[in-house]
Amino acid sequence: MELLFDILQDMLFSALAAIGFASISNTPFSAMKYCALLGAVGHSLRFVMMNYMGIHIVISAFVAALIIGILAIPFAPKAKCPPETFSYPALLPMIPGMYAYRAVQGLVLCLSSNDESAFDHYFYLMNFNGLTCVIVVAGMVLGVTLPIFVFKRISFSATREMIKD
Amino acid sequence: MHDMLKGKCRFISSYAAALLGCGATCIRIEKNVERIARTFGVHVDMTLLPSHVITVVWDKDYTHSYNCQSKPTGEAIDFCRNIELSKLSWQIAEDKLLYEDAANRFEKIISQPRLNKWLVLLLTSTANASFCRLFGGDFKAVGIVFCATLIGFLLKQIMLEDKIDLRITTVLSAFVASVIGASGYLFGISGTPELALGTSVLFLVPGIPYINAGSDLFAGHYLCSVSRFIQAVILTICLSLGLCGGMFLMQMNFFN
Repeated sequence: MELLFDILQDMLFSALAAIGFASISNTPFSAMKYCALLGAVGHSLRFVMMNYMGIHIVISAFVAALIIGILAIPFAPKAKCPPETFSYPALLPMIPGMYAYRAVQGLVLCLSSNDESAFDHYFYLMNFNGLTCVIVVAGMVLGVTLPIFVFKRISFSATREMIKD
Repeated sequence: MHDMLKGKCRFISSYAAALLGCGATCIRIEKNVERIARTFGVHVDMTLLPSHVITVVWDKDYTHSYNCQSKPTGEAIDFCRNIELSKLSWQIAEDKLLYEDAANRFEKIISQPRLNKWLVLLLTSTANASFCRLFGGDFKAVGIVFCATLIGFLLKQIMLEDKIDLRITTVLSAFVASVIGASGYLFGISGTPELALGTSVLFLVPGIPYINAGSDLFAGHYLCSVSRFIQAVILTICLSLGLCGGMFLMQMNFFN
């Protein structure tokens, strides 16, 4: 029961996050419900994989992004939008922003540290956070774009349906 | 012949530049332009560079050509424009629009206004506050992040309206948001003040450029990919500098 509550809570807040970040990119309202749905499914999947199955963030993020990418393909003709216009914003709640700026903080602290052990520690933090961020983003991008390239015909003719209607 | 090629080349070049400017992936720009060129009965050679689109249009027999360079138009990522421009390429292909009619529709699309800025401000603040909850922050921390994002993002909107450089805007927005985000520590409001502080600047992370960089990389557009990636890294550095500045002002440790 607690697991279900956690998952539902994760889905709700990731859907809100996906809608909000989609609005910055001027995503049309008609596509926002798909952003919310895909964001909720993707993030909650990553949440379960990381917290309940103990799977590493890189693999979890890749699998979640792949599911978002695959689901976006059949939704594209329905939403009459290219799949990336709602699958990319749906991915945003999973962008490891914390790792990105911790890497930069590590760099700042490296330069301001006085002794070798402090430098080594911050250098480690910079590399650990930076490397994790880059690999997670690469995995997510691979996961979300693979279906677009595999299902090229659907992906690049989604907006065509609009004319036929 | 010359006027015909000139008109079509200028339209295609402006079209590709508008798509590049609104954050479309290179593969989508290529597909849409190919579709338009086929309908116009011309051949197109196009070079997509980070800050220019170079277009060469040939007639069917490759005897006459016209070339044109355009700078990307539009200030920020705009999926609405991306969708409308993609739709226009299909209208040209299926309705066999003349390029004069296509140009009129194109002008209409690029003059469409964005979503209401106050609505975007509210949605973004809610999104960032939700982010804090996703990281495990308590509801007081969520409230702090909401306020920090509201003020930080409003500052960003005002500065961008005044055409201030995006990097300076990002540093200052992150600085203001992090100072407000640190109020959990300052007033002992929340049980998770570190999450409030850490999340308060996440609305500035340039997620779409990172994803577009990856997509261009897989499509073989290495130059655009690297350019978009560097742009995203620079903005991440800017937001981190703003955050470090805010933490320095509030006399906080960077890592606990």
